[in-house]
Amino acid sequence: MSTETITPTSTVFGAEVPQPKQHGKPGGIMRRLNLGTALIGGVGLAAISGFVANALIPAGASTVTFAPVAPDVVYLAILVGWTIGFSAGIGAFVGPIRWLFGRDLTHADAEYMAGKDLGVKRYFKFTTDHKVVGVQYLVVTMFILGFGGLLAMLIRTELGVTWSEVFSPGFYNSMIGTHGIAMIIAMIVSVMGPIANFIMPLMIGARDMAFPRLNALSLWLLVVAAAALVSTLFTGGIQDGWSVYQPLASQGPPAMLGYQMTIIVFAISTGVASVNLMVTALTMRAKGMTWSRTPIFVYGVFGAALMGLYAFPFFQYSQIMALTDRIWNTSFFNPLQGGSVWLYENLFWLLGHPEVYVIIIPGTVVLFEVMPVFLRKPLFSFNFAVAGIVGVVALSGLVWAHHMYMTGWAPAANYPFMLSTEMISIPVGFLVLVVIGTMWRGLVWTRLPIMAVYAVIFNKMIGGVTGIYLSDVPVDQYMHGTMFVVAHFHYMLMGAGLFGAMAGLAFYFPKMTGRVLDERTASIGFWTAFTGFQITFMAMFVAGLQGMPRRVLQFDSLFNAPNWISTIGAYIIGLGMLIFAGAVISSWTSGDKAPANPFGSKSLEWQTPTPVPLENFEVLPVVTQKPYSYGVVDPYQKEMDAADGDLDTQKVGSNQ
Amino acid sequence: MDTRPTGPPDEPEEPTNRPPSMHRVKMWLRRPYAKGIVALTVIIGVLLLPMAWIILIPMQATGAPASEIMAGIEQTIFVFTIVSIPIVAFVYAVLVYSLLKWRKHKGDSIPEDESPAIRTNTIGVALWTGVSSVLAFFLVVWGLIELAQITSNSYGTISADQQPGDEQSVIVNVTGQQWIWTFEYPQHDGVTTEVLYLPKDRPVYFNVTSKDVIHNFWLVELGVKIDANPGAITQTGVTPNKLGSFNLRCAELCGMHHAYMETSIEVVEGETFASVMRELGGGRTS
Repeated sequence: MSTETITPTSTVFGAEVPQPKQHGKPGGIMRRLNLGTALIGGVGLAAISGFVANALIPAGASTVTFAPVAPDVVYLAILVGWTIGFSAGIGAFVGPIRWLFGRDLTHADAEYMAGKDLGVKRYFKFTTDHKVVGVQYLVVTMFILGFGGLLAMLIRTELGVTWSEVFSPGFYNSMIGTHGIAMIIAMIVSVMGPIANFIMPLMIGARDMAFPRLNALSLWLLVVAAAALVSTLFTGGIQDGWSVYQPLASQGPPAMLGYQMTIIVFAISTGVASVNLMVTALTMRAKGMTWSRTPIFVYGVFGAALMGLYAFPFFQYSQIMALTDRIWNTSFFNPLQGGSVWLYENLFWLLGHPEVYVIIIPGTVVLFEVMPVFLRKPLFSFNFAVAGIVGVVALSGLVWAHHMYMTGWAPAANYPFMLSTEMISIPVGFLVLVVIGTMWRGLVWTRLPIMAVYAVIFNKMIGGVTGIYLSDVPVDQYMHGTMFVVAHFHYMLMGAGLFGAMAGLAFYFPKMTGRVLDERTASIGFWTAFTGFQITFMAMFVAGLQGMPRRVLQFDSLFNAPNWISTIGAYIIGLGMLIFAGAVISSWTSGDKAPANPFGSKSLEWQTPTPVPLENFEVLPVVTQKPYSYGVVDPYQKEMDAADGDLDTQKVGSNQ
Repeated sequence: MDTRPTGPPDEPEEPTNRPPSMHRVKMWLRRPYAKGIVALTVIIGVLLLPMAWIILIPMQATGAPASEIMAGIEQTIFVFTIVSIPIVAFVYAVLVYSLLKWRKHKGDSIPEDESPAIRTNTIGVALWTGVSSVLAFFLVVWGLIELAQITSNSYGTISADQQPGDEQSVIVNVTGQQWIWTFEYPQHDGVTTEVLYLPKDRPVYFNVTSKDVIHNFWLVELGVKIDANPGAITQTGVTPNKLGSFNLRCAELCGMHHAYMETSIEVVEGETFASVMRELGGGRTS
């Protein structure tokens, strides 16, 4: 290996590759940076910038509305300091700075940054390996879900205790807002973070994502945003629901700045992650993996990333504008100064609706990966699955104003938006067809991942039908802003989205953690949560139909009974989720070692050894056939051939 | 010339080995699971059918419908439920049948049996696409017609200065503010109330606005809902057709005491309405 040339080389998969000059030990400054230095940097810079901001503001300075200036500006300085300090401390800026000095990464540097030989430490660093990022995403997502779930329990407690106020109205409102945005963030990353990052490169036969450092950046920016979100609880709370409509939000406490910074940072995180996932799906597929040989999961992730990429900037802009409204008295949204509340609503829902598909599509395609394995059948009508995803992505940007039917913004626009909203049920219907077509005459291997599919489809039909009511303007005239809407979107986002993500976790758990999941306990948890879910949200449908508005903490005694039932159901969900989380954690720490391919899957990701080595594949695979090549020739085929009498029909498996 | 037919008219023409197209359907229906799924779809559909009525029960708990608009809303929900039932019933039938009747494999070992490799099915896909598109199209058309109807019933597209000022109609200027509703009756010397008084069987126009943040003006049993926006006036309207006391709630989170921003609607006879207005100080009756 040692050559006589001046240029040093490194052996990469058997090939001699010329290397740039190695400065110091591999990794350089990255050897010293980890979560600890990030916290020191974040907290330190937050404190410094907070003090500086406080010192710069004259004592007693007030805004035109006689509100003190200091809390807002100091809190904003703290948030900005936290964001920059944490990013610097974790090493997010090291790459660009090295670049400025003209120091390219050597192979040894890159291997260090991918976490080679670092053991558990690599999970607490700016590690570029997609598998590490996937596991980090999983942990962060579980923390955010736990936080949001705890708030949900508290909200239901307040609503169940109909005879008095448990929490002050201000704190109750901030729990609603924080629960909402925390869960939205957690659900957006619940499949796209852990499963897409960990599994997709394996699935397409790649050694990593296209941009490994951006991958690490997206994860740590999520951590930054999550911390900013939690901080709002201590600065007055997000009291305006997750949609923080203006101008109510401008009345709010400094916590609104926490919300705005959370969204601005999270939008960068999703933008970076989306580009990374899309480029990976487009360019990193193994040799021979043509589009018809690409697993459907990749299509779904690509579609969701595409929607995230165009939708999140609207949200980000709306929050930047709201932030400048608050700090510099710009008047984008302030009607007293010529701003428009409808502008905010439009920008918000231009994210808000594509975003539910950003949640639902990955949650659905992960089921498409589960089903062929446990039903021992190919995916039914791959083309329709693709058409369904394309249809949803295409229509996703044309439906946002159905959230604004009742705003009076443009009554005449209700007609086209009703049309586009109801049309989207057709591509969504394609996805349902793929599910039932794949189940058709399949042998069911009754493991948790496939059983969860049944649960998800059950919920999705209820969420879908109630969605059809809501898509209709006249019906929405009754149901808009009621608990019916809340129950509807929980059926979609939780009943289909979260339970789908749980199915995905149960499926990929052995590959991701190297351990066997205790499916017995996890199933008990899953079905407990499922039962509680039906109780909670069926009762909530009733309350909504009776006319209970959402986001209230006291209400007409007419709504007492459904709220009591709903709260009991919520505690059952909480119990089930705790059991499920307990099964996950105990299996992860002390479960049996998992075999490489415990479910007999034929996909590429299961052909790797477990635990998956750094760079995944010793030799990059070549794909020679379509995915999901399970199954035997349909026994009814002969009968069909006889009926056709047409012997040149070569189609394998017409059955109807 | 010989005009007699050359053969008996019922003689088959070209011999073919393709059986009639209905034969495929018959053969399909002969399969055990086909009958099972059709039967299950019918059973689940019948079981779900009462939902069309059940779903309306909670809506009517406080006296709805009290207007044509609300009656239209309830009718739409009824029709949509009926239209959704076949699809839901079919999907649930497949789920149930798959779990109960198609083969199962339990335990941790990878099943050795494989399922039939059905990669697509033209007839099935075409049927599903056709039926779901027709149903979606029906829902859209129904919705558009219904929307046009309630828009004309609620005068939602008539701007404030062009609304008819005939003797019959009542104009109410609604103002939302944290956390109270104020109703001004410009035809009655600008009397203001905090309870919404409406005469039965007379068209009412609402000009809705807000002093501070976005509220939502929701006449629950009358099926009217519109945002009260600061810096803009939104219009809606309704003709109440039922006497009684109904609920008015704010349906948009408007701050700390959003939950308490509710009041009642009193729908009274026209004469009673006039006397209420007089009592409150509105001289002119209309």
